[in-house]
Amino acid sequence: MPPKPVRPATLSDRWQLRAPERQLLSWALVAIALGFLMLLGAGPKDGYAVRWFDLLPLLTLAASFGAAHLVLTALGFRGDQLILAATALLCGVGLLAQYRMGVFIGDAVDPITYLILPGGVALMTAAVAMAMDGRYRVLAPALWFWALLSLGLIGLLLTTGQRFRGGVYAAGFITPTEPLKLTVVLFAAAFVDRHVKALSKWPGAIPYPPPRTLWPLLAFFGMLLGLLLWQRDLGMIAILSLALLALLLAGTRQPGYLIYSALIAGIGGYVLLAFFSHSQRRIAAWADPFQDPTGGGWQILQGLSGMYAGGLWGEGFGQARPRYTPIAESDFIYAVIAEELGFAGSILLVGFFLLLFARLFGIAARARSSFGMLTATGIATVFATQTFLNVGGVTKFIPLTGITLPFISHGGSSLLTAFLSLGLVLAISDGEPKPVKKKTAARTSAGAPARRRRARRTSSAAARG
Amino acid sequence: MDLLNSLFLSAPWAVLRAGLHFAFLLVLVYLLKQVFDLRTVTGLRHLAKPRAGFNLAVVGIGALFVGALAYQATWQLSGTSRQQFVAFMQSHDRRQFNPAHWIERGRILDHRGRVLAESREVASPSASPSTGRSQLGDARRISTEVQRYYPLGPGFAHVVGYAHPRFGTSGMEAAGNVSLNGGTPENWLEWGELGRQLVTRDKRAKGRDLVLTLDADLQALAYQRLGGRPGAIVMLVPGDGAVRVMTSSPSFDPNLLDGDLFGGHDPAARLLNRATAGLYPPGSTFKVVLAAQSLDAGQQPVLQCPADGFTTSKRYPKIRDHEYYSARRSGKVWRGFGRIGLGRALAKSSNVYFAQLGVQQGHDAFHRTLDRFAFNSRVVLTDGLSSRQLMRTGPVPRIARSDQYGLAQASIGQGKVLTTPAHMALITAAIANGGLAMRPRLTAAEPAEGLARFMTANTARRLAAMMRRVVTEGTARGIDVPELAIAGKTGTAQNPIGEAHSWFIGFAPAGRPRLAVAVMVEHAGYGSAVAAPIAQELLLLAQERGLLQ
Repeated sequence: MPPKPVRPATLSDRWQLRAPERQLLSWALVAIALGFLMLLGAGPKDGYAVRWFDLLPLLTLAASFGAAHLVLTALGFRGDQLILAATALLCGVGLLAQYRMGVFIGDAVDPITYLILPGGVALMTAAVAMAMDGRYRVLAPALWFWALLSLGLIGLLLTTGQRFRGGVYAAGFITPTEPLKLTVVLFAAAFVDRHVKALSKWPGAIPYPPPRTLWPLLAFFGMLLGLLLWQRDLGMIAILSLALLALLLAGTRQPGYLIYSALIAGIGGYVLLAFFSHSQRRIAAWADPFQDPTGGGWQILQGLSGMYAGGLWGEGFGQARPRYTPIAESDFIYAVIAEELGFAGSILLVGFFLLLFARLFGIAARARSSFGMLTATGIATVFATQTFLNVGGVTKFIPLTGITLPFISHGGSSLLTAFLSLGLVLAISDGEPKPVKKKTAARTSAGAPARRRRARRTSSAAARG
Repeated sequence: MDLLNSLFLSAPWAVLRAGLHFAFLLVLVYLLKQVFDLRTVTGLRHLAKPRAGFNLAVVGIGALFVGALAYQATWQLSGTSRQQFVAFMQSHDRRQFNPAHWIERGRILDHRGRVLAESREVASPSASPSTGRSQLGDARRISTEVQRYYPLGPGFAHVVGYAHPRFGTSGMEAAGNVSLNGGTPENWLEWGELGRQLVTRDKRAKGRDLVLTLDADLQALAYQRLGGRPGAIVMLVPGDGAVRVMTSSPSFDPNLLDGDLFGGHDPAARLLNRATAGLYPPGSTFKVVLAAQSLDAGQQPVLQCPADGFTTSKRYPKIRDHEYYSARRSGKVWRGFGRIGLGRALAKSSNVYFAQLGVQQGHDAFHRTLDRFAFNSRVVLTDGLSSRQLMRTGPVPRIARSDQYGLAQASIGQGKVLTTPAHMALITAAIANGGLAMRPRLTAAEPAEGLARFMTANTARRLAAMMRRVVTEGTARGIDVPELAIAGKTGTAQNPIGEAHSWFIGFAPAGRPRLAVAVMVEHAGYGSAVAAPIAQELLLLAQERGLLQ
């Protein structure tokens, strides 16, 4: 094993350390700048003269990620060097697509629109600064805080929200449930981390998970999914359930969870189909969109028509007419990109997504603490599931769930949550201050002693039962 | 910035833009290569050794995305292999650069090859609504756009239909959509060729022409003679079911569709095809059905027809003949027909005779006849892969056994009896074709097929002779001409809304019928005065054009 690099002390060493990140980030920004030029070029033909002010989104993007890179350098951050560049590229493509859809054009652009991206990057950087060097482990003992926060968020939505297009949205179309993707992962990671021994032991002739340990988790999830079901947010249900399953599998290495989950998912899916007309319609529109081409199948077919029109190479940014696809700027942004950049462009985009996921899972695989490993696994699963549900839905590979594409779709709370999660994984990749043993990592360095004792008691009790 | 703006408008920008597009994708590829090159430096060695299993998860997720991309390719790259998809894009995709629009949709022709619908390339200024700060002048792109054009317009709008990017397709444009767009799914080679032509653009891909059975001249005359009055005209070839005329008025111009037509906001119901879906009381034209029923039963009773009329019960008003009313209007007294037989009753269109006849023969016989004449059903005119065109036949509810008066009314085509102009044309064609009704068909390529036997050949022959008497000595005397032997029956159908509907059904030549026609003009009064002359004019034109040979 090579010697573990300690944090470089001098600023020039730190500058040297982050050189690969700088190189990749620069090229990512070059790519986006080229795309932006292409976009601006389409303006004058439609009778719209380009002004200096139109460069603002590009400059904001470059400045945000540049600043994030400088802060990480100054901190002597030792962690991952690819994620920042990959994220910058994805956000850049998203920015291009949104600019193209007219999010930034017109006199009535909400100034918040310009602030979401820098705000998100700042949030990510702050999260790295606060949680790096092993400090992220303070999040583990706050187990029930995350649970209560999660339920509180849905409660907030259900009390203030209004129905629109089959789902519930809070005032101003902010979706307060987006942070669930982080808080639920944190809760589940902390829970599995605390009870990992008991959860791994499946006694008895017919193997089943230990109910005495598992029930708080199941009760919480039952409540959570029930509330989400009321809200008809099937996409969120899929994302969170898969994240929980991934956590259980990664923590306990017990394949039985997979079998039981498949059973529950099968029964749950059947019940959903039998009782929810909303999901029945979605399934019908997916199975045969030509049954009702101008109704239920309209959106998906318009998206596919655009893709077909784009062909292999696409028409180029600003050339196609993606506006004919309904709500293209949020859920169907992938169709816009596939239309304008062609199939080649969508392969590359998916490639960068896969790079990001591989990196997140890689960090999970190498994390020193078990809590870090679980958190990274959960967040990586959330990203991968969300991306797959969106891309698969838009391409009619799977039924449409109506969720956003991470970093690319237009949406505030979704983007902020994604950046915060990313910051946390980046912090985990920074490693611990000094080598610690894997299994006790979470318990020895952080958390109040009282909580630690209680945790031990619970796990030993479970082991006895 | 001005420099940049003028660059964007300059000629080389198009080339430069394509270069930028290529460079953008190239930089992305280069970025991925760099990631690969830097893998040793960015390996996260300072962390623990990787746990097992995570690579497997990444590979699994990768496989899922590859699957999604492969599926995406089946739409994005080889979308032409999905015929419904191509049809959808042609009718609903407004992206002008979509290769699907490059397929030249086949034409729709009448039976002599006259164009009823075709696609034309028109130059159109690109839709670029000038935003407020368009200080760059009118930099309007000229692009070509394929538009569907209907040279003969409203008279054919219901049958031919429309194919519009916003409003979709209707009529034969909808029923023949797949074939018009260039093929059938079982022919993979052809689809591959179509896809190749779309990608390489070396040759304009073409759809198939659709030949209808309609006759453009006759149909144009028919629509013109309706003159905007609500009504419908259907003309069939009795021997093979070919539809020569099917027009409905008021109509719309398929070249100029607008939103007012749709969503049930149009008070004139211009979208309604009155020929196949308009329900009207048939009035006296229905007497041919009763006559057939009686002849089939082997009865030609001679009945006393008092001038004062006939009723089944004192509680109900008497059913009287037209002559009674016109005599009363002019202050005279009419003595009635007296004892008359079936032939004279049909020629004179005696309500009193047929009301009595219907009641005599009873409810069961009446409903059996309706079943034989295909009432209460739908007949398929064209069965396309994506949609089909249907015609309604008259809906007649069951008349209660105790309701004698209802049966009497129904026997003269009033009361509970309703029908469509297309159904009356079908009945007329059956009489002209020896009792066998041929399924009406709109496409020339379809083989003729029998639909049902409405009556025996013997009955049909005798009924045809009686209908000839209607023209020579009966109610339709006005349209008798020496050069053409027309047979027919007039109808003046009372209705609760306004003046009576004017009907005429008939065929010619009476000896060896070649065309059968049904004309209906809403609220136009006597059938002999309005509908019959239109039918005569149509049949004479058909004779002139050699369609009665």
